Amino acid sequence: MKAFKIILSLLLVASAVALIVFVGGALGNPDDVIARLDADNLAATDSKLQKARDRALESAQAGDREKTLRNIDRYVEGFGDQLELGGQNRLDLFFYRHGPSLIAVSIVVIVAAAALLVSALDSRGRYRKAAIYALLIVLLYAGIYIVENLAGASSMLMTVLKKGAIYALIAVSLNLLNGFTGLFSLGQAGFMLIGAYTYAIFTIATENRAQVYQYYNGGLVQFSLPPLVALVLAGLAAAFFASLVGLPVLRLKSDYLAIATLGFAEIIRAIFQYDGLGPLTNGSNLLRKFATFDSALFPFAVAGVCIALIAMLIHSTYGRAFKAIRDDEVAAEAMGINLFRHKQMAFVISSFFAGVGGALLAMFQTTVQASAFKSSMTYELLLIVVIGGMGSITGSVLASFLFIASSEWWLRFLDNTQMIGDFQVPLLRSGFRMVVFSAIIMVVVLFYRRGIMGDKEFSLKRLSQRFRRKGESRNA
Amino acid sequence: MPEHILQLKDITMQFGGVVAVDSLSLYVDEGEIVALIGPNGAGKTTAFNCVTGVYKPTNGQVSYRGKLIVSNHPQGKMKTLYAGSDKDKYTQVLEPTPDKITALGIARTFQNIRLFKTQTVFENVLIAMHLHRTSNLFTATLHLNSKEEKQHHQRALELLEAVNLLDQKDELATSLPYGMQRRLEIARALATKPQLLLLDEPAAGMNPQETDTLSAFILDIKQQFKLSVFLIEHHMDLVMDISDRIYVIDFGKLIAHGTPAEVQDNPDVIRAYLGVEE
Ligand SMILES: Nc1ncnc2c1ncn2[C@@H]1O[C@H](COP(=O)(O)OP(=O)(O)OP(=O)(O)O)[C@@H](O)[C@H]1O
Ligand SMILES: [Mg+2]
Repeated sequence: MKAFKIILSLLLVASAVALIVFVGGALGNPDDVIARLDADNLAATDSKLQKARDRALESAQAGDREKTLRNIDRYVEGFGDQLELGGQNRLDLFFYRHGPSLIAVSIVVIVAAAALLVSALDSRGRYRKAAIYALLIVLLYAGIYIVENLAGASSMLMTVLKKGAIYALIAVSLNLLNGFTGLFSLGQAGFMLIGAYTYAIFTIATENRAQVYQYYNGGLVQFSLPPLVALVLAGLAAAFFASLVGLPVLRLKSDYLAIATLGFAEIIRAIFQYDGLGPLTNGSNLLRKFATFDSALFPFAVAGVCIALIAMLIHSTYGRAFKAIRDDEVAAEAMGINLFRHKQMAFVISSFFAGVGGALLAMFQTTVQASAFKSSMTYELLLIVVIGGMGSITGSVLASFLFIASSEWWLRFLDNTQMIGDFQVPLLRSGFRMVVFSAIIMVVVLFYRRGIMGDKEFSLKRLSQRFRRKGESRNA
Repeated sequence: MPEHILQLKDITMQFGGVVAVDSLSLYVDEGEIVALIGPNGAGKTTAFNCVTGVYKPTNGQVSYRGKLIVSNHPQGKMKTLYAGSDKDKYTQVLEPTPDKITALGIARTFQNIRLFKTQTVFENVLIAMHLHRTSNLFTATLHLNSKEEKQHHQRALELLEAVNLLDQKDELATSLPYGMQRRLEIARALATKPQLLLLDEPAAGMNPQETDTLSAFILDIKQQFKLSVFLIEHHMDLVMDISDRIYVIDFGKLIAHGTPAEVQDNPDVIRAYLGVEE
């Protein structure tokens, strides 16, 4: 068994490496394939064909893969019957088109092989969990990458995934506060705003500043930072404001805390639109032309790392202290937990990640404007947390994707009038989506008050246990 | 003579016009079991709350091993409202939060059990270890403190073993019967490594059998963890059985003090308990 596993994993690695080599070759010289397509050298006599071929060659030499693919498509569409599209050429074209996805698959195979190797060599099962996690993570990211290559970066599916990942991070940060520490705060939109603005202000390219800050003489800041640095800075700025606000506010009892944080968010929104701060915030005008992302891998990577950090915090001794405060403040204090310091910690950390989430949202939207960060944004997030389950990280993540998908995509058809033959389906018109959406949310909140996950976490162990139990009962 | 482990001087706690504890002075010595008894509403729990920082006493001082830990005198509105005595005796103000008191080595249990209700028996004890962490936010989040975590887990298991709750360790704390919940509260208090343990009616809600074994249990943990014990209890059998000394209060005032035998025969105590009008 052990030898079999080792041999299998080595074979897997070998085949994955072979695939990478093949694909790499095809990715490396598309011009070679394009030239070979015209096996009979028709270009010499047919000027139209020559033009189409040269266009493809040109973009291939420029290294623009997407454009090259488009040009190849046009070339093949127009002159397919005259070109050599069989055998090696077809394979090379396939490799060129799906190369990145295939490389992603190869990487998954290599990691799977590594996991297999670990399970073969590590007889005590010490690294089993880590190997499974590594495999799942690589699978997730490779999957996203492949789907993105198939569906296109600007497709509805990818839009929902990107926004869903960002909301997942912010919802988890809110859950840390409301679900795990029992602090009912409604200031999340304010901290997102601070993060979004901090990020935007510091990543606008210097040459674009004059244009963006046209009413403020090009603005105050005249340098720009790398996106990752600015992301951290966005979190730190939100955390800094949180620590200031926390001093007076966290001593308040729950209802007052909610009102005070809500008020803070509204004040922040007003301040950021204040004309006097224009050189920094561009007043009530948009901020734009800052560094953004194309691929969904970026928000998934950032949100993934942040959510993992929050999860690790919750599973540490500090997370236990937070939950103790949520369950019973008096008892927690009697156990030597300093209430104020730990509440402040949860508040500042939650705000840090809300700031990072706000920055990601700015990147996703490509523009920011303070007026968009209304309290309704916080309510949306609160709904996600409640739907997912107070005190469940996986619940919040799941609920974020479901929420964004329904609000942006699945329920869209309700906004369009539909005809079945001559019959116009009643009620379907612009705005009806929001009615249905609100009704669904009300049903969830009324009848599934503990949310999808309650305060439990989704885990493979529980899932496998459940299946096993079902299997057993069926066998019995 | 060594210092008292706990000393209350003229502690008065006044809620608006109600004087719940009235110039209470008492002490507990190292290694003693001292009981505080009195009829319902006499102010016993309030006295505990003044020691543990839950309430700030209106007047008076508390010392732990000779070190002043709580001190107050009537201030603000209380200057005119104050109905107790010794209002000018103390000038210092010391108002630590309960976690500071616990950190000094004074742990407590609650009359109306206060366990962490969403947590398991094991987690309830583990939470109390947070006080003695050496990790900080970063090392704990990045799980660089696994050695300490392991020690804490180990010690939590030992404590559960000591209070005989090891078999229930993965159950939800609040799903346990009353008697076990009381023992869990004690285990949780012990996890903070106290030298002085305050027990507020540990037998309340226990069945007669459990109450019978409680005396031996308290004596046992006192021995094992080298504790001094200060307890409130209504079960006179238990109190007479294990206490070295007893304080009796009524309407917040100390009415008797002495060994179990002395207190038992005190006419004031009998009167307070039988409710004879004067
Ligand atoms: N927070 C408070 N605000 C106002 N009054 C209070 C407060 N806490 C206690 N009291 C009052 O102080 C008095 C003493 O209460 P306490 O709980 O200390 O009595 P006890 O001796 O512990 O009684 P029991 O045996 O019933 O537990 C009571 O009259 C009670 O109503
Ligand atoms: Mg009481």
